[in-house]
Amino acid sequence: MSTYQEYLKGEREQTWRAELRKMTPNKERTTIERVKMPELDPQIRIHYQDREVNLGLTAEQAVLEARRCLDCPTPTCIEGCPVSINIPKFVKNIERGEFLEAAKTLKETSALPAVCGRVCPQEKQCEAQCFYTQKMKKTPVAIGYLERFAADYERESGRMSVPEVAAPNGIKVAAIGSGPASLSFAGDMIKLGYDVTVFEALHEIGGVLKYGIPEFRLPNKIVDVELTNLEKMGVKFERNFIVGKTASFDDLKAEGFAAFFVASGAGLPRFMNIPGENYNGILSSNEYLTRVNLMNAASDAFDTPVLRGKNVAVIGGGNTAMDSVRTAKRLGAERAMIIYRRSRDEMPARVEEVHHAEEEGIEFINLTNPVEYFANERGRVNRMRVQRMELGEPDASGRRSPRVIEGSEYDIDVDLVVVAVGVSPNPLIPSALKELKVSRWGTIEVDKESMQSSVPELFAGGDIVRGGATVILAMGDGRRAAAGMHRYLTGDQTSNH
Amino acid sequence: MKANLTTRFFGLELKSPVVAASSSMTGNVDQIRKIADAGAGAIVLKSIFEEEIYHQLQEELSRRNEFLSDPEYLDYFDYVIKDESLRKYVKLVSDAKAAAGVPVVASINCATSNEWMAFAAKLQEAGADALELNLFVAPSDYGKTGQDHENFYFTVVDRVLRHVSIPVSIKISHYFSNLAGMVQKLSQTGVAGISLFNRFYAPDIDIAAEKVVAADVLSADNEYLLPLRWTGILAGKTACRLAGTTGIHTAETAVKFLLAGASAVQVASALYQHGPAVVADMNSGITRWMDEKGYVSIDDFRGKLSLQNVGNATAWERVQFMKYFGEKEF
Repeated sequence: MSTYQEYLKGEREQTWRAELRKMTPNKERTTIERVKMPELDPQIRIHYQDREVNLGLTAEQAVLEARRCLDCPTPTCIEGCPVSINIPKFVKNIERGEFLEAAKTLKETSALPAVCGRVCPQEKQCEAQCFYTQKMKKTPVAIGYLERFAADYERESGRMSVPEVAAPNGIKVAAIGSGPASLSFAGDMIKLGYDVTVFEALHEIGGVLKYGIPEFRLPNKIVDVELTNLEKMGVKFERNFIVGKTASFDDLKAEGFAAFFVASGAGLPRFMNIPGENYNGILSSNEYLTRVNLMNAASDAFDTPVLRGKNVAVIGGGNTAMDSVRTAKRLGAERAMIIYRRSRDEMPARVEEVHHAEEEGIEFINLTNPVEYFANERGRVNRMRVQRMELGEPDASGRRSPRVIEGSEYDIDVDLVVVAVGVSPNPLIPSALKELKVSRWGTIEVDKESMQSSVPELFAGGDIVRGGATVILAMGDGRRAAAGMHRYLTGDQTSNH
Repeated sequence: MKANLTTRFFGLELKSPVVAASSSMTGNVDQIRKIADAGAGAIVLKSIFEEEIYHQLQEELSRRNEFLSDPEYLDYFDYVIKDESLRKYVKLVSDAKAAAGVPVVASINCATSNEWMAFAAKLQEAGADALELNLFVAPSDYGKTGQDHENFYFTVVDRVLRHVSIPVSIKISHYFSNLAGMVQKLSQTGVAGISLFNRFYAPDIDIAAEKVVAADVLSADNEYLLPLRWTGILAGKTACRLAGTTGIHTAETAVKFLLAGASAVQVASALYQHGPAVVADMNSGITRWMDEKGYVSIDDFRGKLSLQNVGNATAWERVQFMKYFGEKEF
């Protein structure tokens, strides 16, 4: 049995857990219905960019939901979590009413529990591996809701715990970019005693958490609290600092930085290369969301403009597409549409976001792809031509490929189009380090276990390695990179998260 | 007076009617330079295939299975692959332009009608002198009518012509129920030229192994008869120029096409078999023949033996078998 499994077993055998299991028979636990997340009314929330849709569980709801968890001897849910949160331990702490202990458990391995509780696709990760899902074919324990509850409870209690950190070892390390991969890396490295500085090119820390995810899904104040926590642990943040421009790697090495974690993200918008895509009124989801989320373009109190439309089409089926179309609705769109070339079943967006979007009156035009845009005499887009698709045979990923139905084109009136078909890796770091091995697509090539690149002192993770990743996968990369860098810097081969 | 080989095809003036057809030999800049130096009138670059991009995507997905659990990533990866193919092809166009010194024609193999409008525009931006659309729909879908297939050709041509200003030619197959009518209508769409006919992968059967295998990929030197016949029938009846392709290995065959009414010939298999020198050989062979016959320019004899000029339909259309077998005694 591995050390980690022994640790989990030991935790499970603690007296309080054993007693808790005895208090409620499993048969009774499995009869409890999964909790429903209280939500802000769709007709109210579509008028507010900054009012969160999910309102969070009450303590009573959280305790009841936590009681559903069977505290399995082999907790498969943990295997589904890229940052290996001790899920049964935090859930059982909620069941016994020790909410602060639950939050503390989350922070043992996650630097951003309040964030993950809101934006992780739990239905594809921990909840997909839950005993209820796997063996009983029932709805899983609402692990994400409980995670959010514990983190929110702690924050609102005013008794935030700061994770313990080792004594400083005097070794300086840098994280480049301040998104989820970097923050996760920084949290682990500071706990190990390193002197950690996070360099951010923009004026705000948080990366995609701030500029990419709207406040109705992830309020900035939630992110700020997590950042403050990292600061309290000793992580330093440098804003408006572009590594490779403001200072080179050699400059930073001369300042004593021994190793670097590059998580500079995928900030390069992608377009579809179809005719008319350069007309006014067609913009990338990066630009659209950054203007609204980071530069407050939706607020009259700010000068930053953003184009508004009555008929808005968002191209894509991922979370960024959902964020964009729901933002458009909140900015006054009468018709806000998702245009996606695959069917609903293949949409990569979180199930909850799709559900919320539907409640808000978003129109889903699936199995449809744009082929051309048209504009008025002033060059502003006024119409798009789309073609219908059908699903063909499964491709190498197992998903059915969309195929064109010839002759199925028709036009849709639009005055704003947001293209959310993915982003490409930020080319800045690869271009600043010629010896760095990058893939044909501009992603940094790393060892999958240690996240170490071809430049020994340089590790990387998140979108710059994956080309596009969810928050939690990026955080998993950050944790692996921290363990890998620690081994590299100390020669300690036993270290692992 | 020495013969002048100048002709027009692809909407361009060419110094020779011998054109390097699209093949893997024209996907490499060094080869392109050698073929151009040997005297080719133009280079048609190796086609960018929609189908090939799809297969490349499948290969990459199989290789990168660690990302298969991330549908958001998967969802845009095909755009990445497509962009990469386009970027490489754009580079090939600009490198070929710098190396060749003769017109460079970008070639697109279309399987769907919308996908390639943007590609066409990018290839124009990259400096291609003209475009060739390698159009082919296998008429093997029981659910489709002949009209569906024909519409596909017109749709692609119309869309590409709307998005580029450089001349666009097409290369087609002979799989039409009324080939003459179809070619004539296509010639009236605004295309600069039509090449007859493209040659495809063909299956064969190995009777020893009892397996379906690939037939010879290179054309034989008698395969020119089908495109020659249709060049002769169609010359003078189309609104654009014609070129012959498939089975053209020698100067003599090239001359036959010119006499039938083609403005140019495209060669690929001969290049594979004999290298770029075959282009120089063909040019000198055509020149020699013209000198012997006293022709100064290609236009002096182009189409001299076409159906329109010969006026003898039977020669081009059907009777040769009857005559041959009618006189045969056993």
